[in-house]
Amino acid sequence: MLRGAEEGQVTAVTRALSAASVLCQVEPVGRWFEAFIKRRNINVSASFQELEDEKELSEESGDEELQLEEFPMLKTLDPKDWKNQDHYAVLGLGHIRYRAAQKQIKAAHKAMVLKHHPDKRKAAGEQIGEGDNDYFTCITKAYEILSDPVKRRAFNSIDPTFDNSVPSKSEAKENFFEVFSPVFERNARWSNKKNVPKLGDMNSSFEDVDAFYSFWYNFDSWREFSYLDEEEKEKAECRDERRWIEKQNRAARALRKKEEMNRIRTLVDNAYSCDPRIKKFKEEEKAKKEAEKKAKVEAKRKEQEAKEKQRQAELEAARLAKEKEEEEVRQQALLAKKEKDIQKKAIKKERQKLRTTCKNWNYFSDNEAECVKMMEEVEKLCDRLELASLQCLNEALTSTTREGGKAAVEKQIEEINEQIKREREEAEARLRQATKSSERSTSGGGGGSKNWSEDDLQLLIKAVNLFPAGTNSRWEVIANYMNLHSTTGIKRTAKDVINKAKSLQKLDPHQKDDINKKAFDKFKKEHGVVPQTESAAPSERFEGLVTDSAPWTTEEQKLLEQALKTYPVNTPERWEKIAAAVPGRSKKDCMKRYKELVEMVKAKKAAQEQVLNAAKAKK
Amino acid sequence: MAAIGVHLGCTCACVAVYKDGRADVVANDAGDRVTPAVVAYSKNEEVVGLAAKQSRVRNIANTVVKVKQILGRSAGDPQAEKYIAESKCPVTEKNGKLQYEIDNKLVCPEEVAKLIFSKMKETAQSALGSDVNDVVITVPFEFGENQKNALGQAAGAAGFNVLRLIHEPSAALLAYGIGQDSPTGKSNVLVFKLGGTSLSVTVIEVNSGIYRVLATNTDDSIGGVCFTEALAQHLASEFQRSYKHDIRGNSRAMMKLMNSADVAKHSLSTVGSSNCFVDSLYDGLDFDCNVSRARFELICSPLFNKCVEAIKKLLQQVGFTADDINKVVLCGGSARIPKLQQLIKDLFPAVELLNSITPDEVIPIGAATEAGILVGKENLSLEEEALSIECSAKDILVKGVDESGTDKFTVLFPSGTPLPARRQHTLLAPGNNSSVCLELYESLGKSPAKEEGKFAQIVLQDLDKKEGGLHDILTVLTMKRDGSLHVTCTDQDTGKCEVITVEVAS
Repeated sequence: MLRGAEEGQVTAVTRALSAASVLCQVEPVGRWFEAFIKRRNINVSASFQELEDEKELSEESGDEELQLEEFPMLKTLDPKDWKNQDHYAVLGLGHIRYRAAQKQIKAAHKAMVLKHHPDKRKAAGEQIGEGDNDYFTCITKAYEILSDPVKRRAFNSIDPTFDNSVPSKSEAKENFFEVFSPVFERNARWSNKKNVPKLGDMNSSFEDVDAFYSFWYNFDSWREFSYLDEEEKEKAECRDERRWIEKQNRAARALRKKEEMNRIRTLVDNAYSCDPRIKKFKEEEKAKKEAEKKAKVEAKRKEQEAKEKQRQAELEAARLAKEKEEEEVRQQALLAKKEKDIQKKAIKKERQKLRTTCKNWNYFSDNEAECVKMMEEVEKLCDRLELASLQCLNEALTSTTREGGKAAVEKQIEEINEQIKREREEAEARLRQATKSSERSTSGGGGGSKNWSEDDLQLLIKAVNLFPAGTNSRWEVIANYMNLHSTTGIKRTAKDVINKAKSLQKLDPHQKDDINKKAFDKFKKEHGVVPQTESAAPSERFEGLVTDSAPWTTEEQKLLEQALKTYPVNTPERWEKIAAAVPGRSKKDCMKRYKELVEMVKAKKAAQEQVLNAAKAKK
Repeated sequence: MAAIGVHLGCTCACVAVYKDGRADVVANDAGDRVTPAVVAYSKNEEVVGLAAKQSRVRNIANTVVKVKQILGRSAGDPQAEKYIAESKCPVTEKNGKLQYEIDNKLVCPEEVAKLIFSKMKETAQSALGSDVNDVVITVPFEFGENQKNALGQAAGAAGFNVLRLIHEPSAALLAYGIGQDSPTGKSNVLVFKLGGTSLSVTVIEVNSGIYRVLATNTDDSIGGVCFTEALAQHLASEFQRSYKHDIRGNSRAMMKLMNSADVAKHSLSTVGSSNCFVDSLYDGLDFDCNVSRARFELICSPLFNKCVEAIKKLLQQVGFTADDINKVVLCGGSARIPKLQQLIKDLFPAVELLNSITPDEVIPIGAATEAGILVGKENLSLEEEALSIECSAKDILVKGVDESGTDKFTVLFPSGTPLPARRQHTLLAPGNNSSVCLELYESLGKSPAKEEGKFAQIVLQDLDKKEGGLHDILTVLTMKRDGSLHVTCTDQDTGKCEVITVEVAS
């Protein structure tokens, strides 16, 4: 139960509430929690927005009522010309226009309907236009346009009260900010993006100005001109017509949009070119650049100077060092020269002394010829003896008598002669050596460490041919073969053999021929003798054949081998056939060759075996 | 659209299904509405539920119980250490994570929880006859972030789509729909939950259908098993008396006795006396013993006292008396015990004791209700800030007089109301007055309103006199999120109106 008010009590707020709201942790459960969070997140539900906006709304409602009074303008409206009417003004929202909330539009419409509905006016005894001719149609149209967001946007885009003008450059010369600031502000409403940057003032930072112009140069406008479409799509009778209308409209819209973009562009261009701040920034930039440039040049110059200085200092230092060095060298040279001079003088003196001494003693002889010879010898002495020995000699000469002196001189002479002789011998030996070495180099070391007889050479060549390259431990085998077959009895190692073979290879073909010929001669001689000594029985023919048998060419050899293979051992008349297969050879030739080959192979094998055995023994 | 709510307790798990506007607990394949949260690992299969619990006698090392106590805890946590010490199933630490060692295999607690959740899912699916994924899971109020994550992971592994994890006491309130019907006014609710291993008491303020936990207290030393244990001890002493065998050291015999005591305890909640019978309890001897409810209450009286003390302590902590509590919600299986309910009723003589829903089903039903609210919603993610909302700081009161003529304050706008909010009251004034004065006060702490608390007065003049009648004064209080107040008073007869706006002192 409330009590009654006392006398003089009025409604009043005596003080503010002491505590603001507090944040509480709540449990995330239940319907009401969900509802609360949803309301808070979306912030659209009645209880939230209404509660938060109540104050503002109550303020605005007063204004609306005020606006509703002036409806004489409505009566002048032509319902046919609804397209050109100002829909905001019709609904009494002329003062807020595009800023009007949807709710306000709704409210305004409601108020208008209440006041201007034909039924109401008829009741009040007013004259009503027939059908659509009444001005109430305009209100309906206005609401139709403004309640639809798309249509409203289209209308907003061509808002008749909007000032499309762009200040020229000359206008803004004096008071740039006063001229351009409102222009940008009113154009900002076309921006798709919120938070359009403000023009600012003279003191705006470079970043702000830059952001401002980059925003406006990339202006993203929602302004479109569908409201101004000449034809209405809905009026078309068929699809083709509709399409045609659409095309027309689109072209018109695009054109207008382009114009609009140009307008904004011009505006921004004008502003940019007039902006005193841009000028300022440019100047600053320029000054800065210049300063930088200057600084750079200065720095460069300084650096160069420093470099130059350093270079000069280095040069100076180098020069000084060089001078010092030269001085030193000169000093040394001087010193050395002096010493040399001294020495020279001394030696000259000593020589003179020796000569005079010798002369005084008449060159230790009375004989004229001897004297002359002695003179020569003494001269030689003078020439060749060192200072020290000269001094020594002089000393000896001065201290002794003539005879002693003579002996000393003679001894010296002898020594000198001996020395000269030795030197000459050495020179000769060197000369000999030189010639020898040259000789050796030309002859390929023919006179190697071990003397190789003709026989041996022949044997070696044979062995080398017998064991061609690729044979297992070839040179050992060759050496073994040589040792086995050599008549000289000199033991040769593989190394010797290699050396010899190499030197042989180096020999020019002419020399090789020579050796071969020699070998052949010898062979002929030997073989010519052997059969005679062996027996007289074998026929001359055989002997002749043996001696006359031409050497087997490789071709013949190949043919022979092939024939041997094609006619195996048990073939009847084998050798006849083989001989037939080898042209230019008789049966006997072939048989003989075969025997030789067999022998050679046998020898080869034996040699190889021996080497192998030796190798095994070594192991 | 069906959704389910799952409550995973230390000893038991329970699942409720929300279908056709109703939340109901569904029975598992064994016909029990509550499934023991016990998992037994045998050679080739894992058994969940009653079978696992009963086979624990033979398979103690490979049976995991009370997995909730270790879930999401790391080594070194005192709770975890305590659990490890008690656990019959060896627990080892590997890479900082605690894992069970079963048959030389490592099993992490999340896997065990996953098995239980899978079982719950199966149960719900067989009841619904269709696949169900959306679930709300309850967690104790004191669960930390790690434990919640671990529980969420386990549920996810079981194939659930977790809509939200909610606190057990809130779920209990939701099950009874407290504050969800009439979203005005404010009340305080005490939630008494006596679970298998712990007792937790919570005071929740309900304002405009939104719950706010004022204080909570958890005691891990008392729970349903304590009663069973006490009864088992009693039975063991009875056995000793008759057969001269002390079986307290024999774990297997004690296990059998515990199972028997558990059954007896349950039946004692409904009947006056119960019979405990164990075949071949020890040494081939059968054990048969009758326990009356009075005996049971005598055995457990220290435990009952402990529960009552916990409630008293919490009230003291919040600074409430028993009269400040408007409702008491009982949950947890052991809250069934008639003696305990009697004791609580004695503590709050004027308060409605809500036990119409079986106590161990309260929480899953609440979870299912929440699941029903959430299912089908698009944006379920909760930011941290969503959980803290602006509330009014102080009560707004109006001064009036009662019949005897003494000053009387009436709360128009309670503290803790989520903002923005609008409250509407119709105040009465004697009809023979031509004017009415509303004096508005704000409360100063817990003490009653004083003159200093007055911040505004609203006077309505020149009202029509109605001899013998009453003036109806419609008072609307609107408070915005920043705490500023807007009051509108209207006389219903004359339409006279006064408006004030009170800002917050900066």
